[in-house]
Order: sequence, then C-alpha cells, then structure tokens
Amino acid sequence: MALIELRKLNKIYPNGVHALVDVDLTVQEGEFLVVIGLSGSGKSTLLRCINRLIEPTSGQILYRGQDVTHIQGKDLRQYRKKIGMIFQQFNLIKRRTVLLNVLTGALGSLPVLPSILERFPDNLRQEAMEKLRIVGLEDKWNVRVDALSGGQQQRVAIARSLMQHPEVLLADEPVASLDPATSHSVMKYLKQLNTDYGMTIICNLHFLSLVRTYGTRVVALKQGKLIFQGKPEEITQEWFKEIYGEEAEEVEIA
Amino acid sequence: MGTETKSQTTTAQKFQALILDIFFGIYFVVTLHRVFYYQVLLSLRKLPPVTVEIVLLYIGIGTILGLALFVLNASPGKLIFRQLPDIPWKKAVAEHFLWIIGVLTIATGWVVTRVSILDFFSQEGLAGAKRIFSALLSPEWSILPQALLAIVETIYLALMATLFALPVAFILSFFTARNLMRQSPITLGIYTVLRVLVNFTRSIEPLIWAIIFTVWVGIGPFAGTLALMVHTIASLTKLYSEQIENVDPGPIEAIEATGAHPMQVIWFAVVPQIVLPFLSFTIYRWDINVRMATIIGLVGGGGIGTLLMQYQGLAQWHEVGLLVLIIAIVVWIMDYLSARIREALV
Repeated sequence: MALIELRKLNKIYPNGVHALVDVDLTVQEGEFLVVIGLSGSGKSTLLRCINRLIEPTSGQILYRGQDVTHIQGKDLRQYRKKIGMIFQQFNLIKRRTVLLNVLTGALGSLPVLPSILERFPDNLRQEAMEKLRIVGLEDKWNVRVDALSGGQQQRVAIARSLMQHPEVLLADEPVASLDPATSHSVMKYLKQLNTDYGMTIICNLHFLSLVRTYGTRVVALKQGKLIFQGKPEEITQEWFKEIYGEEAEEVEIA
Repeated sequence: MGTETKSQTTTAQKFQALILDIFFGIYFVVTLHRVFYYQVLLSLRKLPPVTVEIVLLYIGIGTILGLALFVLNASPGKLIFRQLPDIPWKKAVAEHFLWIIGVLTIATGWVVTRVSILDFFSQEGLAGAKRIFSALLSPEWSILPQALLAIVETIYLALMATLFALPVAFILSFFTARNLMRQSPITLGIYTVLRVLVNFTRSIEPLIWAIIFTVWVGIGPFAGTLALMVHTIASLTKLYSEQIENVDPGPIEAIEATGAHPMQVIWFAVVPQIVLPFLSFTIYRWDINVRMATIIGLVGGGGIGTLLMQYQGLAQWHEVGLLVLIIAIVVWIMDYLSARIREALV
C-alpha cells in the first residue's frame, strides 16, 4: 500500500490563484521524492496540503489508505505528529535556546498546561540532546538560535522535527537560503535520515544538481499541474526547458 | 476576471476623483469669496451673514467648477489618483489649481486663528510676557512639599491607569487582529465592531474623557485615572493588535506542523514574538500617561494639574513656576527612562 496518495487534488486561493490543478501523486514508503518547478508553480502548496497546513479545495488525501482530507481537532493533530516539516526560513523561535526549540517538536505528545509552563520531562530533554547529537549541535544546546548560522538553524529545525518520530519529513526549499557548501551538509543529513532510518522524504528543491545527487524520484509542477514523474536522470534537456521555460539555463551548485 | 476587477477599481477611483474635484470646487469658491474677497481684499472685520441662498450658490458654483475640471481632464482629483492623461497644459491647469487651493488654505488659516504680529510685539503684550516669565523663572520653593506630593499622585495615577488598561487591551488586541479574526464572517463581524469602537474611543482626547468622568464619579484623581484608562485601553489595543498582525507566520506553521494544540501554538509561536514589543509599548504608554495626567488635572482629574489650576486661577505665578519646573523635570526623567528601558528591550 502506498504511504501517501493524492487524488485529483485542487487548491484555489481566495484571490483566485489556482495553485494545484488535479494533482494525482503516490508516494511510497522510504522514497526520497524531490518536487521541482518554478516559484509559484505550487510546490509549497502541495507540501502544505499533505500535512493540511493548507486546506485543499477539492480532491482526496490518503495516508496509509486512510482518508485524512477532512479530519479535524485531535485526529488532525495526531496525523500531523507523524509528519515532520522543515522550512526555507527555518521558522524557529528566535529568542529561545536551541534545546527549547528542539523540545517544541514534542508538543504534539505533551499535555497543554505543563508544556506551556515549560515543564518538559527529563527523558524528553535527554532525547532532545540525542537528536542534537545526530545533527552535530549538542554543544550548542544552550545557545539562542538567533546566534546560529543559517545552516546550523536548519539543523536545529531537523532535530526539532525528529522529536516527532516522523514517518515522513516534508522539506520546503530547505537549502534555498543557504550557501552551496552548507546546502550540501543539510542535504546530507536529510539523505542520512532517508537511508539510515528509512524515513520518507518529500523535498522541494530549486537546483537540479541537488536533485540528481539526493533524490530517488522526481516530480515536476508547472502552473499547478504535475507534468513530469520519473528518475532524476530522466530529466533531459527537453524536459528541463519544458519545466523551467525556454529561457532557462541550468546552473550547477558546487 | 483580472481585467474585470481592474476596470471596477478604476470606476471606483474615478468616482473618488470626481468627489474630490467637487469638494475642491466648493472649497475654492467658499474660501475665495469669504476669506480672500471679504477679509483680505476688503479687510472686513465683520462678515456678512451666511444665508441659505448663498450656501446653495456656493455649492452650485463649486460643483459646476469641479465637474468642469473633471470633464475637461484638468482635474486635480485625477492628478492625485494618477489617472490624468498626459496632456501638458491640462496637467498644468490641475497643478496650478492645487497650488491656489494651498495658498487659500494658508490664508484662511491665518485669518481663522487671528494671527496678529501686532499683538505679539505690542508694548503691553511684551510687558505681560516679561512679568510672567520672570515670575516663572523665580519659583516659590515654599510649596515644594505640596508640589512633590501632587506629582507623586500624578505618577501613580498614570501607573494605575496603565496597569488597569493592560489586561483589557491585551485580551481585546487578539480580537482586533485581522489575521486572527478573518476566518469566519462571525469573527470578522466581532473584529469590525471592536475596531470601530476602539478607534472611536481613541479619537476622543483624554481631556474630554476626564470631563465626562468628573461628572460621573466626581472631581479627583479617580476621574483622572478612569479617563486615562479608557484612552489607554483604546490606544494600547490598537498598538498591540497591529503587532499581532505583523507576527511572522513561519513559526506558527512550524509549531502547527508538530501536531501541537492551538493553545500551544499561540504560546510558543505567537507570544514570544509579541511579548517584548508589548512591554515596550506599555512603558511608552505609561510615559505618555504621566504627561497627560498633568494636563488632566486641569479639569479636576487630580494630581499636580489640579494644583497648577488653583495657583493659576489666583495668578500666583511664582508658585506656578515651581509646578511647571517639577512637571518638566519629571516628564524629562520619565521620557529618558522609558527610552532607555525600551532600547534595552528591543
């Protein structure tokens, strides 16, 4: 059974923008799926529909065969817990420490009141330290995140999502605001989660060179439509021009 | 669909330009006739009475003038909304018309506020100024204890008004933040009603609130506190809610994505972003309130303002001088402290 299945998914924003048009997509467990396309092609919307940060206008979302398109409240929160997410802008709580930011990843399994008083159980703190070790930041646990570099902040965000014990990790342009060297370091952590922990990764990317290095499968969006599905090496020059437009030139990321 | 909305907005803008032109036309006719003709050209002290006929005449001529400018595309309204076709001489007409309106406005202001260089530099006037300044500059120190007690009352009055207003404004601000309230028509309705109420309350000066409350609860510091409180609630609500509207939605998404409860989302993603600006606004507001509290005393709101009013009524200018001095020092200290604290916060 497929892990995630999208059926005829449509999203029309209140301003009339048709961001997703009849998208059918199946994601198998253990894939490193890369989504490519121009800015505004609907990549971010697609990712946010999967964990329902954005409500699709029509269509169906199935998770392990179960319809999650309209679940609400506690069910929705339980479902979101299984799906970690990292963002282009990292979206950390800037004035707080690395450790607290990682701990917020566990909010879905904590009762509301104690968590608001920031009473986190000791075993959770230890676990947060372990996650920081995975991303190589255990010595920074007591530093405010706004004192970290972009690459380090993205690794904190990865550690935060690991606290959810996610089955899937959604990565929305995770390296778009990072320099080339840092980009590779962050992508390697994602690859490691995919190969060592068998985590399914769905990742929006700009650079084709990164796609070829890290992805196991690629889909391309253009004006909200899914126009390509296949292996990274199957993206020929013709497909490239089709996806990015006639004027586009491929640039390598070092 | 895109072109349709575009043509709709230009129709709306055209209408706005037309209204503006008619307004300018009427304004031009009225100021030209009543200010420029009667008071500048004829130097009349007493203006002829305004009759219904003359008002209708003003409106009629003004409307025709505005319509003419609008139709001929020499329209100042269209100029302001940037929809004037590029014909140099018509543009020049519109621009010059606006300049004339500007000059007429200043002339009207001059006449209405009765600016008189003669009064300012008259023998008698200068003697009065000398008398009051020399008295103010030699303050009467014997009333210092009384004055200090009064200024302490003023500071506490401002503090209590700020503290009482704070929780109310805090709660209201979430309901007047557009980004949190646009989900459903019901919440949007609540938002609109509260916004109108808050803006209305804020547009009434604390001094007027003080007059209302001195009638309600009697003369004294309590009336002053209530007046400041009402105004503070309104202005803090506005400042707070604007801050909430400006929060970065990124952390909200990130915390939502972990499967967190909405309460946890607000606590971990919204509150950290607003707590320091809120504190900063609150201190700033206290600082403003101390300044306002001295004024509010003038209408019986208690504190040093009331004392000031008493001595001023008795023309005891040396005592007034001391009070003014103390107000100046305290306001300066508050201003300095609040600026330093806010700097440290942000």
